[in-house]
Amino acid sequence: MKKLFPYLLIVVILLVLSSCKKESEESNDIEPTGKISLHFRHYVDGKDLVIDTLMYFNEAGNQYLINEIQYFISDLTLHRSNGKDILIRAWKDIHYIDTDLPSTHYWDIPDEIPAGVYDSISFIFGISQEKNQSFMFVNPPESFMFWPEYLGGGYHYMKLNGKWDNQDEIVEPFDFHLGIGQILDTAGQIVGFVHNDFKVGFPDLAFSISENQVLDFTLTMNIERWFKDPHLYDHDIWGGYIMQNQEAMKIASENGWNVFDMEVTK
Amino acid sequence: MKSFSDHRLFLILIAGLIVFLIISCKKSDDPEPLPSGYEPTPYEIDIPFGFPTKLNIPEDNPMTVEGLELGRYLFYDGRISGRTHPDSMMSCATCHIQENSFECGINHPKYTGGYTFGVTGIPTHHVMLPLMNLVWNHTGYLWNGKVNPNNPDPKFRNIEDLVWMGIVAPHEMNSDTNKAKAVIQNTPGYPELFKKAFGSDQVTVKNMSKAIAQFIRTLISANSKFDKFMRGEVQLTGSELNGYVLFTTEEGADCFHCHGAAGNPLFTTHLYYNNGKDSVFNDPLDRYSITGDPNDKGAYKATTLRNIEYTAPYMHDGRFKTLEEVVEFYSHHLVWSPQIDPLMHHIANGGTQLTAQEKADLIAFIKTLRDEEFIANPEFSKPEKFPDE
Repeated sequence: MKKLFPYLLIVVILLVLSSCKKESEESNDIEPTGKISLHFRHYVDGKDLVIDTLMYFNEAGNQYLINEIQYFISDLTLHRSNGKDILIRAWKDIHYIDTDLPSTHYWDIPDEIPAGVYDSISFIFGISQEKNQSFMFVNPPESFMFWPEYLGGGYHYMKLNGKWDNQDEIVEPFDFHLGIGQILDTAGQIVGFVHNDFKVGFPDLAFSISENQVLDFTLTMNIERWFKDPHLYDHDIWGGYIMQNQEAMKIASENGWNVFDMEVTK
Repeated sequence: MKSFSDHRLFLILIAGLIVFLIISCKKSDDPEPLPSGYEPTPYEIDIPFGFPTKLNIPEDNPMTVEGLELGRYLFYDGRISGRTHPDSMMSCATCHIQENSFECGINHPKYTGGYTFGVTGIPTHHVMLPLMNLVWNHTGYLWNGKVNPNNPDPKFRNIEDLVWMGIVAPHEMNSDTNKAKAVIQNTPGYPELFKKAFGSDQVTVKNMSKAIAQFIRTLISANSKFDKFMRGEVQLTGSELNGYVLFTTEEGADCFHCHGAAGNPLFTTHLYYNNGKDSVFNDPLDRYSITGDPNDKGAYKATTLRNIEYTAPYMHDGRFKTLEEVVEFYSHHLVWSPQIDPLMHHIANGGTQLTAQEKADLIAFIKTLRDEEFIANPEFSKPEKFPDE
């Protein structure tokens, strides 16, 4: 018995360790990591968005209101000077933001980010071409963003809904919706599609992540900028709906380059 | 002898080790043992192709075979209204008729034109909404969304609450809970069914509501011609396809933002919109009555378009009798108001301005959402016999 006991003790210890071991205890030589989170806010002319109030004027002189904004960002990437960029959550990085749903205004990203110095951060506004596939979201609210297959499929990048005081002095609805555009032939038939997603970068936003730190970023959409730079966007010209108007969506996409501001808040 | 003793000791130690491991590794959230004799059979909703995976099933009312069996009896039993005969004048099924997608329909012999009223003769404030695919409704019930998960009053949050509301409402069954409970308690067969479903043969209105809610959550329509088209089983006609393009394009009929399509097969967002019916709003039970937001005046739930062919009359007040009238309204007769929803972007032209052919094509497509299997499914129909028969 005395001879057997040490062996049994070893067996017990090994079994207990192997069966109950936590994942976090599996290795002692992993590199130090931290995390990041994003807070989304929506401004008009430098102040918090006030919805459903006809109080704003865009660069073209249209008086307008905003009712709701729903949009995706994807491919959030942290850039390093050594070229070892970090793509957040790889194929699961698409985040939905809805001004009506406060729970979407914060994105606590679960990825463990290697600690260290980063030069900048970027994301795709909307969903990048390779990921923008129909039926990948089956649950609301993301599924409500579907973009009809006839118009190119996938999902709206953004629904920005509001009203403007039109040239006939009627407060008319506008749906500033971005997604896949259509190329038409001379007969008006769809012969191709254009992916209007675009990259938003913040090349001057250097930051560092320390071990076990959660670094908070704030991403601000400055709504008025959708309508001004480099193209003047006049609702009286483009009307209330643009999903089938690639020219208007192109202008919107090209104006999107500096719609966002980003800052490290903690 | 010594080796036998060692061997026996070894076996004892191994057995002890196994017990130790089981105890030490057991999760702390293992479920409590069920009460003796209460062993309901879990019921799994079979999620159709493309449908949402998140279901509205409350934690305190899990779906069970026994629960929904009881719910089906109660749904069709007029004694739930506190009366003494199963065919007495009102059960859930009196108005929620399977042939009409569990709605009254416009062809009801008693509720002429689809306008329902309770046993007292008091009319319901709005026309009915169908009971179908509600297991995917997380947003709110009734035309104004009064019953919703965020209602501060926990009595008005889910399908279970709609059931007891129907039992006591003067414009519906006009019963009282004690009376309804006593009649069911004293009906042979029911206490045993409650015991199987909920672990107690004591009939309560809470468990009556839970059982009926479980049955309602099984009322799933997902086998229309359009569903078969999406599964690659059938082809749509040219007219139906053209109607689908109109349905899903802003320059066409632009139905999809509120009523879904292949990407949202519920064919509703379950949200609330002012869709341009009126310019003056005095309905005390519109969406504004719930939110207090003046922009919600004249707003109502976007109904599902599945089986819409069976559920006339249309709109909250039943003002349109046919699909043709509805399409005509959206095409040419929208009314502007400050509260018009931003998605109604054809308002400046009075509507979508569809041609006669486009209107016909659009209706042809909408009729592909008819699910004949659903309205004839024997699992949803009135039981052949009640528990005491």
